[in-house]
Amino acid sequence: MAIVYSSLVYLGYILIFPGFLFCFVAGMLITGIDRKIVAKMQKRVGPPILQPMYDFFKLMGKETIIPAAANKTVFLAAPIVGLAAMVVIQLFIPVISTPILYGTADLIVILYLLLIPALAEIYGGSASGSPYAGVGLSREMVTIIACELPLVLIFLSVAKTVGNAMGTGLCFSLSDIAAYQAANGSLMLKASMIPAAIAMLLVIPGETGNHPFDAAEAETEICEGMLAEYSGAPLGIYKLTHAIKTFTLTALFVALFLGGIGTGIVLLDALIEFAICVVLTIIFISLVHAVTARLKIEQLFKYYWTAVSAIALISLVLAWFGM
Amino acid sequence: MFKNLITESTAKSPWLFHINSGSCNGCDIELVAVLTPRYDAERFGFKLAGSPRHADIVVVSGPLTQQSLPRTLRAISQVPEPRCIVTIGSCPQSGNVFKGSYSVMAPLSKYVHVDVAVAGCTPKPEAIMDGLVQATEILKEKRKAWLEAKKNGLKDGPKAETEQEVPAAEDVPASGEEVQQ
Ligand code: SF4
Repeated sequence: MAIVYSSLVYLGYILIFPGFLFCFVAGMLITGIDRKIVAKMQKRVGPPILQPMYDFFKLMGKETIIPAAANKTVFLAAPIVGLAAMVVIQLFIPVISTPILYGTADLIVILYLLLIPALAEIYGGSASGSPYAGVGLSREMVTIIACELPLVLIFLSVAKTVGNAMGTGLCFSLSDIAAYQAANGSLMLKASMIPAAIAMLLVIPGETGNHPFDAAEAETEICEGMLAEYSGAPLGIYKLTHAIKTFTLTALFVALFLGGIGTGIVLLDALIEFAICVVLTIIFISLVHAVTARLKIEQLFKYYWTAVSAIALISLVLAWFGM
Repeated sequence: MFKNLITESTAKSPWLFHINSGSCNGCDIELVAVLTPRYDAERFGFKLAGSPRHADIVVVSGPLTQQSLPRTLRAISQVPEPRCIVTIGSCPQSGNVFKGSYSVMAPLSKYVHVDVAVAGCTPKPEAIMDGLVQATEILKEKRKAWLEAKKNGLKDGPKAETEQEVPAAEDVPASGEEVQQ
């Protein structure tokens, strides 16, 4: 009986909150707000906030064409694997300070899980047999590598700061990080963590593949790269994964640097988290989108491995000396 | 429940794929004007798609030169159902000032079913916008017809008119290479 009950609870976590349904609504709304704000910044009326939902449901109703040159299984399975990984990440991220699933090395698990949607896209793209996908996936790989280094440095500096306070060396557990912030105030308020927070905010548009870091999916240049051959439902699932990724990364920022401001009531916390995510998205994704032009892939790589990594490194060095 | 949602969404999120089949560029510029801040087609959900596989509405401009006709038809057949074909300008309808040239194959309606034709040389952005919005309504009708056909036992829905008519262009060389030989 207990097993049935607990598996039902986990099913609820995965399917409803904070899993699929919550991610779906939050991700779609954030993308919709992003598109609206970009339109407003370009002096346009812009699409309705629910536009990503319309796009998603329309794609669900379209015919799915499988190219003759494609490997059918990989072509169709890749988007689902990517979406599943994206939803699982959300289970590990505490809703401000209330973790749902937790372990001793959440941050490392998240680091790996964040790779899976991008890798799924690479597999799916290469299985489609399109030359545009070939160009797109090589660029996507460079983007992943470019964003990985600053992300690891950021995670390490947070882990070291919290680990020092806990006396455990490095602390990769998000629930411990949340507990530390609840006791000592948000990490954002610590002088040594401010560079890491800034670096994380600069990494978010790159990780999500937003303008100006969308060289891998340049639709005016290489027909959306890896998605060139996709149509119908699989394409819709990719779009959904992208939308959820924006929400997940901003939520991860909230969990890492703005923890400890929650009220303890999960639903209220979820609303606060969502509101902060929207603000972060507007400033660090929409604004950047509206004022910049697309970077070339080598410029993107250089930017992340020099400027952003250097900022993150400052935090790591400060944290290592116990500041 | 989802079926209705999908049908409603079909009309609200039409993505465009633009084919220039030898146009003088006048119509292309006006189509771009439709997407600029002044006319902002995105408020109806229109978006330019990079690949024909993502598109719902195919926008064709130009008088269909001998070279571009087979490619145009091939690109149209890559677009998943339900799809709409909109021609802009008088060129794809009649050949316009190029009519009578040995290399002009217009009208497009000889080869595929055209849903909306916006006339003019060039049509105003308002007229193009009107045509596109009409096409979204047709998209919705097509989706309903497709659902209906599915209910009546046709597994893949009604066969698109375009699919039957694509091979009709007998006198058109299949590829550019053959012309040079
Ligand atoms: S209709 Fe007029 S403007 Fe348009 S392509 Fe033809 S000649 Fe050019």
